Amino acid sequence: MNKVLGDRRAIFLLLGPALLVYSLVMLVPIFWSMGYTAFDGGILTGFTFVGFGNFLKFFNDPTALNATWFTLRYALILTVLQVGFGYLLALLYTFRIKHASSFIRTIIFFPVVLPTVGVGLLFQKLFEAAPTTGPVNGLLNFLGFPSVDWFGYPEQSFWVIILLDLWRSMGFYAILLYAGLVDIPEELLESARIDGASGWRLVRSIVVPLSLPVLLSSLIFSINGTLKVFDTIVALTNGGPGNSTTPLTLYMFQTSFAYGEYGYGSTIATVLTILCLLVTILIFRSTRRDLTKG
Amino acid sequence: MTGCGGSSSEGDGGGGGSTAEAGTFTYLGQNENTTIVDTLETLAGDQCSTENEAAKFTPDAIPGATWDQQLQLLAGQEGLSDFGMAAGTPSLMKQFIESGQVQDISTELEEMGIEDKILPAAASTIQALHGTDKLYALPTEFNIEGFWYNKQLLEDNGITPPETWDELVDAAAKLQAAGIQPFSASGEQGWPVTRLVGNYLMRDLGPDALQKVAEGEAKLTDPEYVKAADEVAALGQAGYFGDAPTSIDYDTSLNLFMTGKAAFLYMGSWATTAFNDEAQNKIGVDNVGFFSFPDVDGGKGSSDQVPANVGIPTMFSSKGFDDSTKAWMECIVNNYGDTVLKDSGVVSGFKVENPPADLPETTKLVQEQIANAPSSVLWFEALMTSQATTVSQSNGGGLANGSVSGEQFMKLVQDANQG
Amino acid sequence: MSTAQSTTAPLTRKSSLTPARDSRRARRIKRILSRLPLDIVIVLLLIAVIYPIIWLVLSSFKSQSEFLNAPFWSLPSSWSPTNYTMAFVDGGLGRFILNSVIVVFPSLAVILVLGTAAGFVLEVMVWKGRAAVLLTFLAGVMVPAQMILLPLFTIYFRLHLTGTLWPLFFTYIGIGMPLTVFMMATFFRAIPRELFEAATIDGASIFRLFWQVGLPLVRNALFTIGLVQFFFLWNDLLISLTFTNSQGLRTIQAGLLNFTGQYGAVQYGPTFAGIAVSVLGTLIIYLFLNQQIMKGLTAGSVKG
Repeated sequence: MNKVLGDRRAIFLLLGPALLVYSLVMLVPIFWSMGYTAFDGGILTGFTFVGFGNFLKFFNDPTALNATWFTLRYALILTVLQVGFGYLLALLYTFRIKHASSFIRTIIFFPVVLPTVGVGLLFQKLFEAAPTTGPVNGLLNFLGFPSVDWFGYPEQSFWVIILLDLWRSMGFYAILLYAGLVDIPEELLESARIDGASGWRLVRSIVVPLSLPVLLSSLIFSINGTLKVFDTIVALTNGGPGNSTTPLTLYMFQTSFAYGEYGYGSTIATVLTILCLLVTILIFRSTRRDLTKG
Repeated sequence: MTGCGGSSSEGDGGGGGSTAEAGTFTYLGQNENTTIVDTLETLAGDQCSTENEAAKFTPDAIPGATWDQQLQLLAGQEGLSDFGMAAGTPSLMKQFIESGQVQDISTELEEMGIEDKILPAAASTIQALHGTDKLYALPTEFNIEGFWYNKQLLEDNGITPPETWDELVDAAAKLQAAGIQPFSASGEQGWPVTRLVGNYLMRDLGPDALQKVAEGEAKLTDPEYVKAADEVAALGQAGYFGDAPTSIDYDTSLNLFMTGKAAFLYMGSWATTAFNDEAQNKIGVDNVGFFSFPDVDGGKGSSDQVPANVGIPTMFSSKGFDDSTKAWMECIVNNYGDTVLKDSGVVSGFKVENPPADLPETTKLVQEQIANAPSSVLWFEALMTSQATTVSQSNGGGLANGSVSGEQFMKLVQDANQG
Repeated sequence: MSTAQSTTAPLTRKSSLTPARDSRRARRIKRILSRLPLDIVIVLLLIAVIYPIIWLVLSSFKSQSEFLNAPFWSLPSSWSPTNYTMAFVDGGLGRFILNSVIVVFPSLAVILVLGTAAGFVLEVMVWKGRAAVLLTFLAGVMVPAQMILLPLFTIYFRLHLTGTLWPLFFTYIGIGMPLTVFMMATFFRAIPRELFEAATIDGASIFRLFWQVGLPLVRNALFTIGLVQFFFLWNDLLISLTFTNSQGLRTIQAGLLNFTGQYGAVQYGPTFAGIAVSVLGTLIIYLFLNQQIMKGLTAGSVKG
């Protein structure tokens, strides 16, 4: 058996191509760029060696620290929301609306398909305060509240971005998690029901543990995606007002390609990568503990 | 290198898909700007047809959103096109100049005896922008900026076009009291607001106010500089930019003015194309007036120093600057100004030999202003680093809605300008 | 918001009923009532998703001045396809769609084939170092894409690939690989190992094991990931903008920026027409893939 499952030629043939493309397109450029973190300057001005200077600069750069804080806050809040809502929807699809589920799944999934440019324009109009009043402010006015200038202030802009991304990704995570839930054998659920488990208890004691691998993947996927948020912010606020909604990716992009400081830009990207790594490890650790407890 | 063609066949980055054989004159522009490429097409089929036979005009375009990034990547590979729009931020252009990517054309123009074909005001604007006394770009566009106003609205409220800043503020107060939004400005873009800060500085402290900042002799956080930002922030705090100026984009800001919902619009002369378009301009083209950015009482500057810009000028890459490209340059310098004014109504920085007779009023007005202006001044961010430019423009909206004070604004920009 | 509580409430309420004492009819009414809040939530959710999409489509018929002056919910004044003709004729949308199709589908196919094979090797097969390789792939999920742009640009330029669609093709494959491998490995993990072991005892070769045992079992997951990757690639803007420095090579998302003018002006009508066309295309793909997934699901349940 181990001879078949350990066939070296097969390993090479099946894994080789994927690893090769991945190495050439991702690994080589990553290390290449990481090499630049020790240098100051850009493609045109030339590079000078500064050692760890760029990292020191990062931790003394208020813009970079703001961007880090924004990125973390955004990623944590959005991950909790989108995986949470996605999981609830997936439970809904699997256990409550089995019959109409295909239709509803399609509809709720749909926003993720929309081009970012379009979604940006859509939300700008939805939350418009002037000259015409958008639906959200219209609703506020109807309820007797004054209009809010959603894109004029950091805190308001933050929540509009969160709402946009949640609206967009909820149905997507629901599908992803649903694929894990439908694979749970019906017999297991049936026997648990006979044992008297129902509702929330059934979910907690049977469904969650069995869908944990997919849930874990989704969490990791989500946190890594949200830490690297770029498109939606560029389309909606472009980092403003001021730099209050500028994530690390956008700051990195501006630094490298608009300000021409490629070395420092690579440093920002490296810090972000480390951040992703730490958070991922953290998620692995905490779920492993849960597993042993259960 | 061999002088046989416009572009070397190596890579030919700007030309993109075309496998450049010898004998092409490659041009790379921004998607957003169709005027330059259209005019060059016209020239290629007409006045410059000989040049076009020797080196075929091969245009291409990429979106402005990634313009500076692409230029940097291409320049890094020595892959700039023969001719093309310059970098969006002047400081990046300076990097191109320093690293020898961009051709100095002043000597060539002199040798050809056509240096007087470029308006001195336009040439000096480009030179000031790039911080050299050589010319590294052609002024394919030349704009003046100032306040456009709705004649009817001002008349109805007994206001004459303001000549000093205080009069402008009084007029705004009067309009606001009458229930009319005084200023329309895109806080989303930011620059229409920060321009006011820059212009106030030039009127108050003199035309070299921002030069001093660039050279480190003065700081934006000095009290006399902060005052300018405070003045603009005060307009924002008074609500003169209307509700939620940060979410007003460029189109909306023009539209507010052209539908009679706002009295003043600070904008460049390129907007005359929109003013001349009846479908867009509901207040009528005769109803649009213009006054120069007003004086500041006791200030060292004066309102005849017109804020001007060259849009994004066009540059020649050093690598592609061979004989056929030189021939093209000569033809462009000789013919571009007339053609672009006739076909597109765009005022360029080239001398116009035969002005068309049927120019719209607003375009004439702009031409007169340019002709009568003894000198021009640059805009607020012109001499700043790209980072300071980004910071300034992304905080412009904050000034307009009153959430950022003059002092905070100047500190942010000054900090970014040092880094 | 309130969705969280209301979706769970009916679950618990239902279980607290004591069926024996209720008559059948009362039970049915209670059942309907208990489902009511849930149904309301679903309907609200559907409206929140459908209405904006309808708005996007309606906007594609509006003129610039309607877009700027009329309120959000107003209907377009005419249904003339001017914006669509502008998008296709002046904007060259057809070419952009074709480019997207040419580059996205082949990359997607390669990603799925290579990624599934790699996931299989990394999870089902037994060999030294597989954990390390899996982690290497996982690391790729964490690196921001902005980081690989400059080196890749240099490489493609030196290889004279600039000016073709190859850079997009290769980059898409590389960038889609980590997630696919990682997710496929996750799905293979969920399959009981006994299935594979039993098959090897029956004398199946490793390739048959992959093709006839492994693949059918992850069919579902394969389509799900295919869907995820498709939308990622189809909606990509960053990579497309960086590696296509020519009009003729632009993909649809980058093409949507074509309707932006100088100084920040936007032609809203053609932009929305482009968006509507892009959405329609993706909807067709989605419906097709979704059907495949549903087929996979029913096949699975019959077997089970």
